[in-house]
Formats: sequence, C-alpha cells, structure tokens
Amino acid sequence: MFEMRNMTVRFVIGEALRDASLRVAPGDRVGIVGESGSGKSMLAACLMGMVPDAATLSGTLTIDAIDMTQASETTWQTIRARRAAMIFQEPMSALNPLRRVGDTVAEPMRVHLGLSKAQAMARVMALFEEVGMPDPVARLRMFPHELSGGQRQRVLIALALACDPELLIADEPTTALDANVALKITDLLVHLSKSRNMALVFISHDLAAVARATTDVAVMYGGDIVERGPTAEVLAAPEHPYTQGLLAARPDPRAMPRDADGVRRRLPTIPGTVPPLYAMAQGCRFSGRCSSERSECAKVKPKPAGPRDVACHAVLREAT
Amino acid sequence: MRPLPVNFIIGAVLVALVVGVAALSLIWTPHDPTNLNIRGKFGDPSAVNWLGTDQLGRDIVSQLMAAARNSMTVALVAVLLGGSIGVALGLLASAIGGWVEDIVMRLADLGFAFPALLFAIMLAAVFGPSLTNAVLAIAFINIPIFARVARASANQIWTREYVLAARAAGMNKLAITRDHILPNIAAAVIVQATIEFAVAILAEAALSYLGLGAQPPASSWGRMLSEAQTLMYLAPELAIYPGLCIVIAVLGFGLLGDGLRDITDPRLVRAR
Repeated sequence: MFEMRNMTVRFVIGEALRDASLRVAPGDRVGIVGESGSGKSMLAACLMGMVPDAATLSGTLTIDAIDMTQASETTWQTIRARRAAMIFQEPMSALNPLRRVGDTVAEPMRVHLGLSKAQAMARVMALFEEVGMPDPVARLRMFPHELSGGQRQRVLIALALACDPELLIADEPTTALDANVALKITDLLVHLSKSRNMALVFISHDLAAVARATTDVAVMYGGDIVERGPTAEVLAAPEHPYTQGLLAARPDPRAMPRDADGVRRRLPTIPGTVPPLYAMAQGCRFSGRCSSERSECAKVKPKPAGPRDVACHAVLREAT
Repeated sequence: MRPLPVNFIIGAVLVALVVGVAALSLIWTPHDPTNLNIRGKFGDPSAVNWLGTDQLGRDIVSQLMAAARNSMTVALVAVLLGGSIGVALGLLASAIGGWVEDIVMRLADLGFAFPALLFAIMLAAVFGPSLTNAVLAIAFINIPIFARVARASANQIWTREYVLAARAAGMNKLAITRDHILPNIAAAVIVQATIEFAVAILAEAALSYLGLGAQPPASSWGRMLSEAQTLMYLAPELAIYPGLCIVIAVLGFGLLGDGLRDITDPRLVRAR
C-alpha cells in the first residue's frame, strides 16, 4: 500500500506539485491524466523517491505504513525495483544502446536478489515470455537498436517486473508507439496488473488509453490534483472545468467535418497554455484559462470537496 | 557505410609504421644500437649501416628503432597511467557532484594553468632525471586533461533516460557508472588518449633532449637530437633522422586521433 498525503514539491521558481494525495493498494489501477507540465511525472518521481535534489518536499509518503519521507537514497535503492518500478515514455532512450537487452533486464535481479548470471538469465527468459516478446531466446542477446518500438517497450516492462514489484508506474508508456502497438502494450499492462495483483499507476494524456487501462483516475493541472474518481464516471460526467475542457478537446471521429451551415467545424480547445511554474496563480492554477472563473479563483486555492475531491470554487458554489 | 576519413587512413598508416618498427626492435635490430665503433664514425649509408653511423660509430637505424620502442613505452605507460587516474577522478566528480565535483575540477583547472611541458620539466628536475620520472611527469600532466573529458562526457550521459531507468531499477551510482557511464564515454576517452599519445611522444622527446628523460646508453630520439646538435654543420643528417621520426610519430597519432573523432562523432566533421 503506497499512500501519499499532502505532498508538495517546491523548487526555487515555484511548486511543481501542490498538496497531492494518492492511495494505491495492491491490484489498483490508477490513471493520472493531465497535459505536459501538470506534475504527472513529478508525482511518479515522488513515489519512486527520485525527486531532483534541488527540490524541497513537504507532506508524507508511507509504504505499508512505513514513513518514507525522510528515507535516504540507500534506503530508496532497496525499495526501487523490489517494491516500486517504473517504465518510461521513450523506450529507445530508456535503454543503454551499448548493452544487450538481456543483460539490462538481468541487472536488478543480480543486484537485489543476488542471483547468478545463469539464474538471472533464466528468469529474464521467463519474463520475456510473460511480456509477450516474440522469439525470446534470440532477443536476449540483441541490442536495443535491433528491436522494434513495441519490443523495446516490452523489454522495459520486463526490466520493471524483474524483482516482482508491488507497484508499477507507467509514465506515458504508449506515447512514442504506433496506435495499434500502444493498444497491445496497454492491454499487456492491465493483464500483468491483474495476473500479479500488482498496482498500476498509468500516467498519460491519452484519455482513451486511460479509459481502457484504469479503474480510477486523477486529473492533474499545474501541479494540482483537480478531480478524481472512478474512471468511467469521471470521463462520462466530468465536474471540474478543466476535465470538461480536456474531454471536449478530444477529436470525435463521428462528428461531421462541417455543420449545417457548411462552416468547417473546429476542434474545441482550452484557451491559452499552461503558464511556466514561476507565473502560476496563487489560487486555482487553472484560473486565467477557465470558462467559469470567479473573482476569488486566482487568489484562493480551492479545497478539494465532494465525493470526487473536485478542487473548484465554481463547482463548490453550485453544490451549496 | 561511409568511407573512412583521409586523416584516419594516413594516421593509421604512420602509426602502423612506427608501432611496427618499435615492435620489431624487440626481437631484431640490424646491429646492437649501443655497440661503439670509433673507427667507423660518421660512416656513410651502406649495405651494412643503412643510414650510416653516428659520431661514436653506432648504427643509426638500430638506434632509431630502439628509440621508437622507448618512445612508445613511455607514451603508453604515461597515457594509461594519467588517463586512468584522470578518468577515475572525472567519473567520481560527475557521479557525486556538489563540492566533490567543484574541488576536482578546480584542481584540474590548476593543472591547466601551468604550461604542461614546463611542469613536466619541473617534476623531472625535482625528482631527478630518469626515464621513470619522465613517465610519471607526463602521466601527471595528463590527469587533468582526462578528468575534464571524462567528467564532461559523463555529465551528458547522466542525464540520459536509461540512467534514470537504471536508477528506477535500484542501481547505485557505482553500478551505474560501471555499466552505463563508462561504456558510453569510452569513445571520447579513446579519441583523447590517441591525441595525448602524440603529445606524450613529443614531451618524452623534449625531456630527453633536455637530458631529463632517457639516460645513456638508452636510445631516445630526443637525446639523439641533442647529441647531434653540436655536430649540425659536420653531420646534419644525425639531427634530421630522429627529427623526422618524431614528426612521423606525432603526426601519425595526431591524425589517427582526429580521424577517430570524426568517425565516432560525425557532427564534428565540417563540410569539406
């Protein structure tokens, strides 16, 4: 059980994560959704104890009720791989070009589990089969450039599974892949989570992939978790204006390219861009781009409220 | 595959020549390079003495070959020694960062502040003239050079995603340095080593010329030069031959290093 409470990650120029709380129990499949710079990856870094040295942390992180907030790098090294593991967005750059992929996957087993080279290789074989690697024996001795994008991502998944972690964090695992390969990788992650009773934190800005992979979802904007709940409910009836905007901005293949008057239909967008950290509003960070903005929004940080922990003054006002 | 750069080919041929001759001298030279023959001094080139004999009647070809071997040995040991210490320091600085990195790199800056050869002369002068001290002096001036190259390349590799992946797999910095950083900076280090090899040959020649390197009767191009200096008008070829040897060796390793750099880092090749 990983539990993060009121975690704030502060850099000199601003806060990359504000008051984030997240609970992940074995077998949970949690999606983290948000655009670039929303703090998704910082949240993942917190769970792995891999926040850059320049940051100051406040809040607590416990793993099975053991406080990890003050844990040393050495302690974290025993947690990583064995309890929490991670896969990355770009499988090519996440593999050392000069190492055979079998050696890369075997490495954490030899370090953490003390296996001999032969034992480790036998396990790598089994893992390659589990992640659906075609012709695993031949792949063991190949270099990353000899594999396809999907196969590389399968190598990284095998690497993450090497020491049977309780939590797998997938940081935009399908962004760099073809649509059909992305689908297979997504399904593989769901299958692994179920068969191993392993928690999955699935970070993505691809709403379709999140809908397919997860049971619960947290929506992030500018370092805040603005809304959370069961994936199906949040995507069907979003409450926070940002979630609504995000969902409206999805291209709909069934929509006609022109409306009744023959005017070309435009894809709805959220106006503006995510401001840089130092320019973020003190209050709700979505203020300035929000369609239902109120006078207090830019100054006062909205408190998460309701069953979905929606952090929005406008939604709160309506409810009361 | 792209054709090999011209500088690489020329460099490789010259290096092969010098190294081949040096290797050959281990098992065979036409004559004993230290064998004096006062009667046959200043001999002209002949079937017996291919390039003639020097002021003491020693065979010049044999001396040049023995000197090539000494030069290669000095340069090899000096670059390996200075290079491994320098690379180790650079990797350490890069892995730990913070004040350790600051101290190591400022010390390297200090090393750069002294003219390298002058520094080697000083060391050789303080610890006494001998081939061993020359090797140590040349190795010492190589340390900051390799420390800088290793640290700069390693800092780049530390930002790669596969290093992040290795950290996420619970690897400590030592294991990451060994398995990921070192193999990926090897190309840059090897290029630098080849270039420093040329510099080391030159430094050895200079030290020996000044009498701070190889001591008689050991042969050295630099010492042959200094001995020939007083006889410049009598027998200029005695200075020309070792001089040419130094040029060939230094040029060969320099071009080879440049060529290797062009091959390993195509971005640096200018449009020709």
